[in-house]
Amino acid sequence: MQQAEQYWLFAAFCCVVATLLLRLVLRERITIQSSLWVFFSLAALVVLAVVPNLTTRLAHAMGFTLPSNFFFAIATGALALLHVHTLVTLSRTEARSITLTQELGILREKLDQIESARARPAPAGTPALPPPKKADAPHERT
Amino acid sequence: MRVLIVVPALNEESGLPPLLSELRAVAERDGFSAEIVVIDDASTDRTAEVAREHGARVVRLCRNLGIGGAVQTGLRLALREGFDCAVQMDVDGQHPPSELRKLVAAMQAPLAPDIVVGSRYLHGEGFQSTLPRRMGSGWLGWVLRLVTGQKTTDPTSGYRAYGRRALKLFNWSYPHDYPEPEALVLAKVAGLRVVEIPVVMKERQGGASSISIVHAPYYMLKVTAAILLAYARSWHRIEPRTL
Repeated sequence: MQQAEQYWLFAAFCCVVATLLLRLVLRERITIQSSLWVFFSLAALVVLAVVPNLTTRLAHAMGFTLPSNFFFAIATGALALLHVHTLVTLSRTEARSITLTQELGILREKLDQIESARARPAPAGTPALPPPKKADAPHERT
Repeated sequence: MRVLIVVPALNEESGLPPLLSELRAVAERDGFSAEIVVIDDASTDRTAEVAREHGARVVRLCRNLGIGGAVQTGLRLALREGFDCAVQMDVDGQHPPSELRKLVAAMQAPLAPDIVVGSRYLHGEGFQSTLPRRMGSGWLGWVLRLVTGQKTTDPTSGYRAYGRRALKLFNWSYPHDYPEPEALVLAKVAGLRVVEIPVVMKERQGGASSISIVHAPYYMLKVTAAILLAYARSWHRIEPRTL
């Protein structure tokens, strides 16, 4: 009689990692969108760990002799995909950050020009410009 | 012709005053209207204040973007404010302001090109750089010729003038690390006309090159790969008719 293969300890470890991730999402340290892939991967690992003989059956179906080889191949592929996803996100964020930095620099230069024009004494007969309104203090996130 | 001179600068409080004074004198002598904008790439010294004291406009970047990001900022400003031409030049003394009129004259010629590159190797006058650097330039020129079909003698020259069509292209996309050779590929693929003209360059007056002898092989490899990838990528993304 074949012994049912279940890996409760590994499943528990995956749940701990998922809980840590969830805490980070709730504290807004990471976004839901960027963490979804990790949650899906962890859920798949938990299913593989707790459903009896699922890993063995899947391994044999995909041509692997040893379930451990199948597991490592799947894990390596999943990590590679997650890495590519992270690279895409990082590159997009970097491109946006560069554009924002450039726009901020250009706008600040424009503002400096306007302020120095205001500071210059107006020619006689020109109505004085109203003083600039005080801006509200920006809401700072902690 | 309205010309914007774009000077990217990082911690150049000592190099800026002579350059800015000479630029003003040259623009006055040669009779063209030129504004100067210094792109302060998050300097930690008085670069921005010194530039303002010498009459230049200053765009301060709140974080360091590197040479590509700084130059693109200047080109974006030139496009937005309707300048006919932007000239990029370094602050380290390699690019004498006296050569500026050659670049501007080339942009004013009938059938004006979209990009004019000042080449120190075309006539071999002035400072000719070290042998390893010349060899590196030769290699990159060969790769560029392979990819674009155009002979380029000084692909790393940062003494360049850009016309309106080039400003539109580089407003949309400009390479960031060691951008000069890659920018030429983008321009050629977009159907822009690029010409080289001979200029006299000088030896660097201050500061150190960002490419040391240790990093040179990595730089060559990286730029070669960047040129090939830019060529492949541009096939899919650039439509010259939109420029």
